[in-house]
Amino acid sequence: MNAVQRQDAIAVHCRNVSMKIRKKTILHDVDLTIESGRIVGLLGPNGAGKSTLLKMISGLTKPVSGEIRIFGQPAGVGTLDRVAFLPDRGKLPGWLTGAEWLQFAASIYPDWNRERARYLVEALKVNLDTRISSQSRGEEARLQLLTCLAREAPLILLDEPFAGVDLLSREKIASSVVADLADGHRTLLMATHDIREMEPLFDQVVFIHEGWASGPESVEILRQSGRSVETRYKEVFA
Amino acid sequence: MTEESLWYPNVRIDPSRPLYEQFCEQMRADIARGALQLGARLPSVRDLAAWLRVNPNTVMRTYQELERGKLLVTHRGQGTFVTDDARIVEESKRDIARQAVAELRARAASIGLTTEQLWLLGQGEG
Repeated sequence: MNAVQRQDAIAVHCRNVSMKIRKKTILHDVDLTIESGRIVGLLGPNGAGKSTLLKMISGLTKPVSGEIRIFGQPAGVGTLDRVAFLPDRGKLPGWLTGAEWLQFAASIYPDWNRERARYLVEALKVNLDTRISSQSRGEEARLQLLTCLAREAPLILLDEPFAGVDLLSREKIASSVVADLADGHRTLLMATHDIREMEPLFDQVVFIHEGWASGPESVEILRQSGRSVETRYKEVFA
Repeated sequence: MTEESLWYPNVRIDPSRPLYEQFCEQMRADIARGALQLGARLPSVRDLAAWLRVNPNTVMRTYQELERGKLLVTHRGQGTFVTDDARIVEESKRDIARQAVAELRARAASIGLTTEQLWLLGQGEG
């Protein structure tokens, strides 16, 4: 195996990553390795540091210390083309219709896959005709997810993709994520509160609590020892 | 081409047991009772994983496990099918029954019933 392949086998590598905002430490020395092709859940209570960590992995924020590598390259402007990021509380321009937004997205993302976008419009039942500001939370969430998945970026980061989303939308989103990741070419890191609903999706889970991260742990190994992700979550956060 | 199967499993997931084991059990049972017929074509790993909303590796492992037991066969480029050999299905039924009997025996033993007493119960004479 040559060096290039070895680097590619690791999608995300965080070493001693710390983050402070003003004087408050948000993340403490996070060490985290995510192998390429995995579907990984990032689990923890509100304020644990999940969003901050995802934002840094996306390359949009720099840690105060430590190092983050995406497929072997330092996270930052240079890795933006390899990462599709769905931020928490992200807003799409409300004055555009779904169709207008998708046209815009296709023009700004060089890796936009029109065929996949068309397929996802069907699978996610995206509302193309209504202005985004008049769409329901679930409709906008599905449009946002489409915007991530229609790109060919090998690393997908989803921050609470189900927040405020109705059951049917959650199911559609989960099915599309699974179908999209099934060939094992892409890597997904997803922060979510919906542990019970989402745990069958994950290969591995990372727990994060008050800025301390542990994992990834294999979900099947947990189950072999008679524990669910949820019971493990309660152990970790008890 | 074989007709497309409309079969999708109906599983209530127990999150504290390996999922592939639960899917294997369900598929063995569906094949045994004929809900999945000899030679039936199964959904692709991708479709079944999306339908169940589970990790694709779980479905792949389920198929692999059942292929090892010869209940499923994969034809390259065509997909995965239930075996068309009725003897294999018959043997799998017996395995399911044997396992149920073993569990029943263990349960009876745990409450102090002998195999003879259990047998008599089964005859309606206990």
